[in-house]
Amino acid sequence: MTSSIFMHPATMFIIGALLLPLANKLKLQKVWLVLIPLVAFIQIQYLPESFGKVDWLGFELHFGRVDKLTMVFLHVFTLMALIGSIFGLHVKESGQHVAGWLYVAGSLGTTLAGDYLTVFIFWELMAFASVFLVWYRKKRKSIEAGYRYQLVHSVGGLVLLGGIFLRYQNVGDLTFELISVDHATLADYLIMIGFMLNAAVPPIHAWLPDAYPEATVTGAVFMCAFTTKTAVYVLARGFAGFEVLAIMGAIMTLYGVAYAVIENDARRILAYHIVSQVGYMVCAVGIGTEMAINGASAHAYAHILYKALLFMGIGSVLEMTGRSKLSELGGLYKYMPFTMIFTVIGGIAISGFPLTSGFISKSMIIAAAGNNHQIVILSMLLLAAVGTFLSVGIKLPYFVFFGPNDCGLKPKESPWNMQLAMGMAAFMCIFLGFYPTYLYDMLPYAVHYHPYTTYHLTETFHLLGFTGLGFFIMVKYLKPHDVSNLDLDWFYRRGAGWFMWVANKPVSATNEWISNVYQNIGLRFTMALARALSWFDWEGIDWALDGSARGVVKGGEQVRQFQTGKLQHYIGAAVALLFIVLIVVVLI
Amino acid sequence: MIVNFLTYLRERPSLLKWLFMAYLAFAVVFDFFADRSHAHFWGDHLVGYWAVFGLVGCLAMIVFCKGLSHVWLERDKDHYDK
Repeated sequence: MTSSIFMHPATMFIIGALLLPLANKLKLQKVWLVLIPLVAFIQIQYLPESFGKVDWLGFELHFGRVDKLTMVFLHVFTLMALIGSIFGLHVKESGQHVAGWLYVAGSLGTTLAGDYLTVFIFWELMAFASVFLVWYRKKRKSIEAGYRYQLVHSVGGLVLLGGIFLRYQNVGDLTFELISVDHATLADYLIMIGFMLNAAVPPIHAWLPDAYPEATVTGAVFMCAFTTKTAVYVLARGFAGFEVLAIMGAIMTLYGVAYAVIENDARRILAYHIVSQVGYMVCAVGIGTEMAINGASAHAYAHILYKALLFMGIGSVLEMTGRSKLSELGGLYKYMPFTMIFTVIGGIAISGFPLTSGFISKSMIIAAAGNNHQIVILSMLLLAAVGTFLSVGIKLPYFVFFGPNDCGLKPKESPWNMQLAMGMAAFMCIFLGFYPTYLYDMLPYAVHYHPYTTYHLTETFHLLGFTGLGFFIMVKYLKPHDVSNLDLDWFYRRGAGWFMWVANKPVSATNEWISNVYQNIGLRFTMALARALSWFDWEGIDWALDGSARGVVKGGEQVRQFQTGKLQHYIGAAVALLFIVLIVVVLI
Repeated sequence: MIVNFLTYLRERPSLLKWLFMAYLAFAVVFDFFADRSHAHFWGDHLVGYWAVFGLVGCLAMIVFCKGLSHVWLERDKDHYDK
């Protein structure tokens, strides 16, 4: 393959998605599902630095801008598309795969875009396609959550579009480059808010833990990888060094993990934990140094793999048992040992155990904060690391696979394709831990960081060990209960309820009352008024003037009597008139 | 095989406890020998700082989050459908 032969990876997934139903008819769906992501994964290496510049209505659209920052995200996105597609091989319904791939295409298109309009087009494709991954679960809760997801993303998209328009008006240039903090205007901040919504930055994060746990088993695996990490990419591309992001990111890490500690549904724990993990990346983007941007990219790469692995592990349990609540699970290690091992690998990787991918990526961000002397942020990130190990590293596998009680279920192991996909992701988690250079070589800047120092090791040993001690002291208190917890989606979920109530009750009742009042009183009053006016006009005004109206009526009455309506009378009258005229003319 | 091994361990909680304590002891001893030349702030110079940070942080987080859930955030599953 030469560098001149390539296809935009998004095009490849779109065409692949459109041909999927055909492949399904030809019984080739499984082959197709592996082939397209595999080819995409290989051919991104051959993309030229810039391609696809199109002049459209006076705007220059730029579909392909490739540099090292783009490449690291493209690499993990296509790899994840491959793993996710393998995980979903057993799903016969082509629609789910079509939605998944269009979603991937949106993500790849955004990552490659060199201007804001192209970003926006693919951004919306992502939101549009991903909602089907929720709806395909076909439960009432999923349908409702999907609508909320779609509405929130529509608002985010509009804010983004507003920012883009305003920017065009201000500077007349839509190229997507780094914005300097000192010259940022309202337009840039609107664009940033649009991006932050997809990165699930509180207070605009609640769509994520609301929708992801309601998605299909395979859909959730796709969703956990693409939306938030594409947002991290665009933030790193456009807004590196904005301090507000560093602060918001650090808050995110704790916010997400706090909910992960108290939630009961395993997929909701993982969803909240995405907020926490993406917080590290947003924080790193806000710190903005070379090391921090490297850290954000490396952590996005590692995170996509272990978070997907966790979603696959819990998804396997959900697929085989129909349950995902910790309070209804326990003791499954006997029946699903491989799923258990893979999930635990995901759990230790996300917690940053030595020799796993989390150890070599998360620490880069923490070190970047330390090198920048941001000690409060550093402490917040490490506290979030404690919460991560507590909630996802121990609590989740413990209550699902071990636990104080067995749940009594005896499920079979999940199908081979799910095991294979989990195996691939688990391999990557360990591989990156052993051989970080593979990832470090891909990062946007040269890496001068060594994760395996004695100090970093001892810090990790202590944090993890003593967090574990804390868990076993408090394990009874941590026992999950089957409840849900309020979050900021309260405002629009309750708000929508109130809006409907106001529309249904007071507004509708007032409307009805007013129309009743009008019918009963208003109409009669109007009629009476009209009669009174007519009488006044007749008796008062006409008499006062000259009686001309009565005169007209009288005259009209007399004229009417001439007009008998009989044709012979009219003809007779006409002929008589003619004679009179002739006589007059002749005589004179 | 791994299932049998885990069941074996699960039936012996005191053995697990001792193994875990041995690990913690190892971690504390290891801390004395760590190279602290790249320390970011004062806490990095203290032996056992991150042990205290981990334990206190973990306990505080559990008490705070679970407490907040109990007194404020906790609702029935169909809360929004009512």
